[in-house]
Amino acid sequence: MNKMFAVIKREYLQAVRKKMFIFMTLFFPVLMAALFIVPSLLVARGLGGKKVAVIDGTGGLRSSFSHHMEPETPDPEKALSGRKRGEVPQSLDIDYTDAHTQSNLDSAARPFLDRLYLDKDSGNGLDAVLVIPANAFAGSDAKMTYYSRSSADLISMERLGSISNRAIQRQRLSARGIDPGVVDTLTREVTIDSVQLSRSGEKKKGNAANFFVGFIFAGLLIIPSFIYGLETMRGIVQEKSERIVEVLVSSMSPRELLTGKILGIAAVGLTQITVWLTIIAAAGAVGAATAMTAGFDVSQFLRPMVFVYFALFFILGYLTFVCIYAIAGAACNTDKEAQQLVAPLQMVMMVPWFVMFVIITNPDSTFAVALSLAPVYGPLTMFARTLVSEPPVWHVLLSIAVSIVTIMVFFYVTAKVFRVGILSYGKRPTIPELWRWIKLA
Amino acid sequence: MSVVLSVRDVVKTFGAVRAVDGVSFTVRRGTITGLLGRNGAGKTTTIRMITGVFFPDSGSIEWLGSERDARDRIGYLPEERGLYRQMKVKEHLLFLAEIKGCRGAAVGQSAERWLKRFELWDKRDSKIEELSKGNQQKVQLIGTLLHEPDLIILDEPQSGLDPVNMLLVRNLLQELKDEGRTILLSTHMMAEAERMADEIILVHKGKVVLSGALDAVRDSFGKNTLHIDYEGDGAFLQHLPQVKRAMIVNNAAELSLTEGADPQHVLEATLGRLRIRRFELASPSLEEIFIEQVGAETMESIR
Repeated sequence: MNKMFAVIKREYLQAVRKKMFIFMTLFFPVLMAALFIVPSLLVARGLGGKKVAVIDGTGGLRSSFSHHMEPETPDPEKALSGRKRGEVPQSLDIDYTDAHTQSNLDSAARPFLDRLYLDKDSGNGLDAVLVIPANAFAGSDAKMTYYSRSSADLISMERLGSISNRAIQRQRLSARGIDPGVVDTLTREVTIDSVQLSRSGEKKKGNAANFFVGFIFAGLLIIPSFIYGLETMRGIVQEKSERIVEVLVSSMSPRELLTGKILGIAAVGLTQITVWLTIIAAAGAVGAATAMTAGFDVSQFLRPMVFVYFALFFILGYLTFVCIYAIAGAACNTDKEAQQLVAPLQMVMMVPWFVMFVIITNPDSTFAVALSLAPVYGPLTMFARTLVSEPPVWHVLLSIAVSIVTIMVFFYVTAKVFRVGILSYGKRPTIPELWRWIKLA
Repeated sequence: MSVVLSVRDVVKTFGAVRAVDGVSFTVRRGTITGLLGRNGAGKTTTIRMITGVFFPDSGSIEWLGSERDARDRIGYLPEERGLYRQMKVKEHLLFLAEIKGCRGAAVGQSAERWLKRFELWDKRDSKIEELSKGNQQKVQLIGTLLHEPDLIILDEPQSGLDPVNMLLVRNLLQELKDEGRTILLSTHMMAEAERMADEIILVHKGKVVLSGALDAVRDSFGKNTLHIDYEGDGAFLQHLPQVKRAMIVNNAAELSLTEGADPQHVLEATLGRLRIRRFELASPSLEEIFIEQVGAETMESIR
C-alpha cells in the first residue's frame, strides 16, 4: 500500500510540475471560451457591409430595396449558438437599377458583372449582383439569378432572396387590390421563443446558448482525457524503454504499479478540473450579470448538479481513456508505435464529440440515449444530456454503472497486458497477440 | 555461513524455449557469487525470477534468514540505466527507497552520505538527464543500496562503464562484501568474475553446468595448465604435442596440457625461440574452464 502511495505521489508531483499542466490548468478554459466567444463577438460587431447590385427587370421593386440596409439586430442567443455561428449580420449596400425598359437583361447586367472583380475600395467593386426577371410577378417559371465571386456566399444570397420574395409577394397581392399595409400585417412572421420544461416543472429559457456552454463543458470533459491519456502512454513506454520498469516491478507487483500510476494521474486530472470549475464558477458569478444583459441566463448551467455530474463523468471518462492508453503503452516499445496503435482507437473514442451537435439538439433521442448508456461513450454523452436536458435518474445511474464495469474490465485487461507487455521488447504485438497476452498472463 | 537465497529446480519456458531448465543454487551470506554464462544462457531470466518479475513455471525460490518481504530484500541494478530522466537526483533516490518500503529521515541522511561519498551532493537537485552517464550509473547504484538490501543483484554492472567507473564498482563491491553484504553478480566477463567472485554458478542453455567456490572449482580441474608470459612469436606453442588446447593473447599463453604431459618438455621447446618472463603451472583460468564447459565454439563470443 505504501509502495502504491509512493507511485501515486511520484506520478502526481511529476505531472503537476510540468509546464504543460500549468498551461492547461490556467489557460485551457480561457482558450475554450475564446473558441466560442470570439465568433460571437464578431457576430455582435458584424463583419462590415457588402455591396450588391440589383437589376430589376420588373421595375416595380425600388421601394423594397432602400439604398442601405442596416444589419439585423444582433441576436446574442443565436449569435452564441454553435448552429448559427455562420449567420453573421452585415449591412447590405444596395445599388438598385430599374431595368424594365431593357429588352435584354443579360446585356443590362453585363457592366455590373464586370464590376464583381474590381477593387471594392475604389468604390466601383461589387460583392454580388442579383438579376430579377421581368416576368417575376406573373411567370410561374420565373427565376432570379444571383452572381457572386464566392459560391459559398449563401448568407447574402438567402437574405437578398428573402427580401426580393417578400417584395414580389407584396406586389402580387397589391396587384389583386389588397392594401400594402394589410399585406404587411397579414404576412408578418411570428417568432418562436423556446422554453425548456424540466422534470420538476421548472421553466428554463431553453435557448441557443445550450450549444455554447455544452461545447465548452464537453471540451473540458474530454480533451484532458486525451492529453493525460497520451502522457500515461508515453510514461509507460518510457519506463519500458529505459528499463525503469524492471526496478519498479522488482519492488512491487505490476498491479500495484499500474493502480498507482492510474490513481496518480487521476489525481492530476481532479486537481485540474477543481481549478477549472473554480475558475468557471468565479467567472460565472462575475459574468452572469453581464451575460444576463446580453440576453441569456447563464445561471441555469451553473446549477450545483452540473458540477457534480461534471466531476463524476470526468473521472469516469478519464479512467476509461487512461486505461486504453495504458494498454497501448504497455504493448508498444516506442512512442511512435504506440501512437499508431491508438490513432484509430482515438477516432472511435471521439465519436460522441463528433456527434455532440446531434446529442445536444436531441438529448433524449434513441441515438443519444443509446450512446449515453454505451461503454466508453457513456461519460461524455450522458454528461451532455444532463447539461441540456434532464434524463431519467435510472439512465444516469445505469450509465455510471456501465462506466464502472467498463473501467474494471479495462483495468483487468490493462493489468494483464501490462504484466506481459512491460517486459517484452520485441516488435509491436498484433491484436491476436495482444489477445493471447490477455489469456496468458 | 548462512544461506540467504535458495533457488531450487526452477524452470521457465517462453513458448517452445526453455530459457531456464531446472536451475538450482544457493547464495551464501557475505559472499560475492558470480552468475556466469553466455548471452542468452538464462542469467537474466533467472534474475527476473529472483526479483519477482517472472514467476517460475515450477521450482521454488526461497528467502532465508529474515522476515522482510522478499522484494524489499533485493537491491537490483539492471543492465541498462533504469532511472526517470526528469526526476531530480535526491528525489529519485528517495523514491527508489520508498518503493522498497523505506522512508523517513534516516533514508534522507543515508542518501546524503552516499551522494557525498560519490561526489554527487552538489548535483542533488539536478535532473537525472543532466548528469553524465557515469554519474547516472552512480545514482543507480546508490538507489540499489539505499534500502540496505540483503542481496544486491547486479546485472552486467560493468557494461558500458569506463575503466574509472569500473574500478569504482569493483572497489565498492569489495567494500560491501567486507561489510558482510551478499552480492549476486551476473556477468559474461570471466576475468571480472575471477577477480571478484567467491563462488560461481556457470549457466549454459538454461542449466547449471558448474557451481561452487571459485578456488575449489579451479582446483577440480587440476593443476595442469601452463601460464606463460614471453617475448617473441609464440604461435608455435599451440602445435606442441603436449598441448591439448591453447589460448594465446598478445604475449601470454594459457596452455591446457594433455593427460600425463610433462610441462618440462614444453619449457624445453621454448628455449631459443622465446624469452620467457613467467612460466607457471597452475589451475586453469575461469575463462579456460568456461570454454571447456560450454564448448570451444563460444570462444569468439566471449572475447
